[in-house]
Amino acid sequence: MTQETSQATTPTLRLTDVRKSFGPVDALKGVSLYIKKGEVIGLIGENGAGKSTLLKILTGIYQPDGGTIEVNGRVTKFRGPRDASAAGIGVVHQEQSLFTNLTVAENIAMNAGGHRTGTRFGFYDWRALNKAASETLEIIGSKLNPKTRVGDLSFVDRQMVEIARAIRTDTSKGGSPLVILDEPTSLLERGETAVLEREIRKLKSFGSVIFVSHRLDEIMRNCDRILVMRNGELVADRVTESVTEDELFKLMVGHASHASKSVRKPVDPKATPILEVYGLSRKGKYQDVSLAAHAGRVTAIVGTSGSGREEVSRAIFGAEKFDSGTIRLDGSEVRGWRIPKAVRKGLGFVPSERKVEGMVGGYSAAENIVLTNPGKAAVGPIVLPWKRNKIAQDWFTTLDVRPNDIGLELDRFSGGNQQKVVLAKWLNDPELRVLVLDHPLRGLDPGAAETVNEQIKKAVANGAAVVLLADTLEEALDMGDEILVMRDGAVTARYDMTVDDPSTLDLLERMV
Amino acid sequence: MTNTLAKPTGNVSVDTSELSSAGLTRTRRNILSGIGEPVALLGALVVLIAIFSALNPRFATITNLQNVLNQASLPIIIGVGATLVILIGSIDLSVEGVMAASGVAFVLMSANTRGGQDMGIWAFIVPLALGIVLGAANGLIYTLLKVPSFIVTLGMWFIGFGIATILYGTDAYPELTNETLTQWAAKIELGLPNVFWLAAALVIVAALVLRYTRFGRAALAIGNNEDIARANGMPVRKHKVTTFIIAGALSGLAGILATMQMGGTSNHIGEGYLFLTLPAVVIGGTALSGGKGGVLRTFLGVILLTVLNNGLVLAGVSPNFQSALSGAILVVAIVAAAWSQRGRLRIAK
Repeated sequence: MTQETSQATTPTLRLTDVRKSFGPVDALKGVSLYIKKGEVIGLIGENGAGKSTLLKILTGIYQPDGGTIEVNGRVTKFRGPRDASAAGIGVVHQEQSLFTNLTVAENIAMNAGGHRTGTRFGFYDWRALNKAASETLEIIGSKLNPKTRVGDLSFVDRQMVEIARAIRTDTSKGGSPLVILDEPTSLLERGETAVLEREIRKLKSFGSVIFVSHRLDEIMRNCDRILVMRNGELVADRVTESVTEDELFKLMVGHASHASKSVRKPVDPKATPILEVYGLSRKGKYQDVSLAAHAGRVTAIVGTSGSGREEVSRAIFGAEKFDSGTIRLDGSEVRGWRIPKAVRKGLGFVPSERKVEGMVGGYSAAENIVLTNPGKAAVGPIVLPWKRNKIAQDWFTTLDVRPNDIGLELDRFSGGNQQKVVLAKWLNDPELRVLVLDHPLRGLDPGAAETVNEQIKKAVANGAAVVLLADTLEEALDMGDEILVMRDGAVTARYDMTVDDPSTLDLLERMV
Repeated sequence: MTNTLAKPTGNVSVDTSELSSAGLTRTRRNILSGIGEPVALLGALVVLIAIFSALNPRFATITNLQNVLNQASLPIIIGVGATLVILIGSIDLSVEGVMAASGVAFVLMSANTRGGQDMGIWAFIVPLALGIVLGAANGLIYTLLKVPSFIVTLGMWFIGFGIATILYGTDAYPELTNETLTQWAAKIELGLPNVFWLAAALVIVAALVLRYTRFGRAALAIGNNEDIARANGMPVRKHKVTTFIIAGALSGLAGILATMQMGGTSNHIGEGYLFLTLPAVVIGGTALSGGKGGVLRTFLGVILLTVLNNGLVLAGVSPNFQSALSGAILVVAIVAAAWSQRGRLRIAK
């Protein structure tokens, strides 16, 4: 299993037989690994494989039930996050963990463990604090102003702040920083991901990196060595050159990928599109956007974060106003287009901010599924619990939601499983006409992503029209029957995939 | 795959510089909007002063200014504690109960018309300690038993009131006999009342603490996101308990000062202070969700409300209407103050 090479230097970090259980559940069943200075380690595994538990142990949030942690050859116990950070371990979280109301410099200093420049006896020396932050930012090649409030930064800039915070440790004791990147790219656009990847290469020169991602291509591109977890165990430790994406998928999931290529049907020229958008404009966001969503087809919109595609998709669902242009449904213009009306007309929307907009976390999964369209569960205004539970149970089985407990609060499911429930909420509408998907695969592991994509394809096969904002260009090319490229609020290209065959490079050229 | 990537990497370096410059312009705009709120508040204050001056020439006099500042001082002192508590996303409703307990303790330990012994400095120390103990109880119950601060402090309000009632007993209303004490608060020093100088000093200290100390910045951090604060190894529980202790001590101080102002006290000494202070904090622009605001804003909020109440009296508004009118103005003021944050409220929890 784990083939350790002879080590000339002591590894930055070594775990031996680390175990952790929660009640009867063994989250980690004895994990041993090592990381050397200058290494970039990829850590992959499905949701629930134990990655998060492992990371929380490395960052001192959880204490292991057994096993040892060695930092630079010394056995260490992390009693809390402060100890981990003092040992040089920093994290860049998937859901960013910065204080949006404080400045860049303060956020960077916040995690500096015992040694804090910029404060003396609890008092701040703002000048020293800002200077230290600038120096740290310089190391990672960022020119951010340390006095900027983090809430005013773009997503990728915030990530730079997180990286700066993660590497800001005391290197004087001969230690080197270990930065854990926890799915850092899942919320980034393509261009932004490239910035991050460059950053990873920079980190290699003075520290080591654990890179957690669901995107196998990224893992292959950036990592020297790849660790695969499944069911709380480390099932593989491979040097990147000796492994393929397909093998990794098999190791993670336990079976080979069976995703099918979409079959593309040409549009019937006589058919009225379900939904048409004509000359939609909103000042400062997008101008003159037109598109047509046909039954049984996926319209994918690609673009960077400032391209306006998010705003367009929200306008289509009635979640945001637009200044001019029209939206037509079955050929006739709609007026007073707001979410309640859109939902009545058979539109569904899976938002990118799942936790904020897509679900009621305190409700059970079953209640979430029947939230907007109770369907057969309702008699008049009354939702019958036993019918609701039956419907929910069917969806759980179809979508393989884990844990298989429809009564559990949705907050307590992992991201991928939450997304399945959010999707089921819309699919539960027998009258579903148009499904608007804003990054439906964001943060999902390949297994869950496959399930979600299958369901989207099924909905399309059943005659729904889908407007898709894909995470990756590959996803757009795979799913889209038509692809719209947007840049700075305008449509720069359209591809009918039954005729055209654009490459990712073609799309990129029109995006940036 | 590697080929497709080679090109975007080149483009992207241009992208980052654009992003950071965008960050800069955004900051500049933000500084302006940061000033915008207090300016609006000051504007409202100027308008109120203009209206009331027109209605009654006695409004805009030095004597009335001193009077207003004298009245505003206790809400300001309480407001400092309330702001620290609200900044971390909690609330302290126990103010009036703590004031009552400390006020009654103070009067009974000083020379008063009921007799008893004058305990000198202990008459100040014990009521303050009472405030600290009640505040610490708030903080400990809130953090250790994980009860919402709203409930804990509501209970502590009535515990404080109960302590005051027991101490007060059934005897006659005790009045302070030491005139140095009864006249200290309103005594004019350098043109303004003593008690206002004390309140102003507390505001300045608190403002400096919030800006320049780890404790102050931690308040903002915890208010912004408690989980992140905890994951960063910040002593969240300790901070919360300390904050409630400070708030309790300030309520205790307010109880003493209120007694000195009134020349005596009953167990009802604290009445009405909470419902002046909390709206003042909100009008000032401190967000009830925590993480945003400050004591200088609260200072302005209290002044605004005190001017409003004082002006209504001088304008000859019948006491029957006064309460309803100041309530209505309050609602309008809060809507106006919150107007600029509608966008932010949408994203918030």
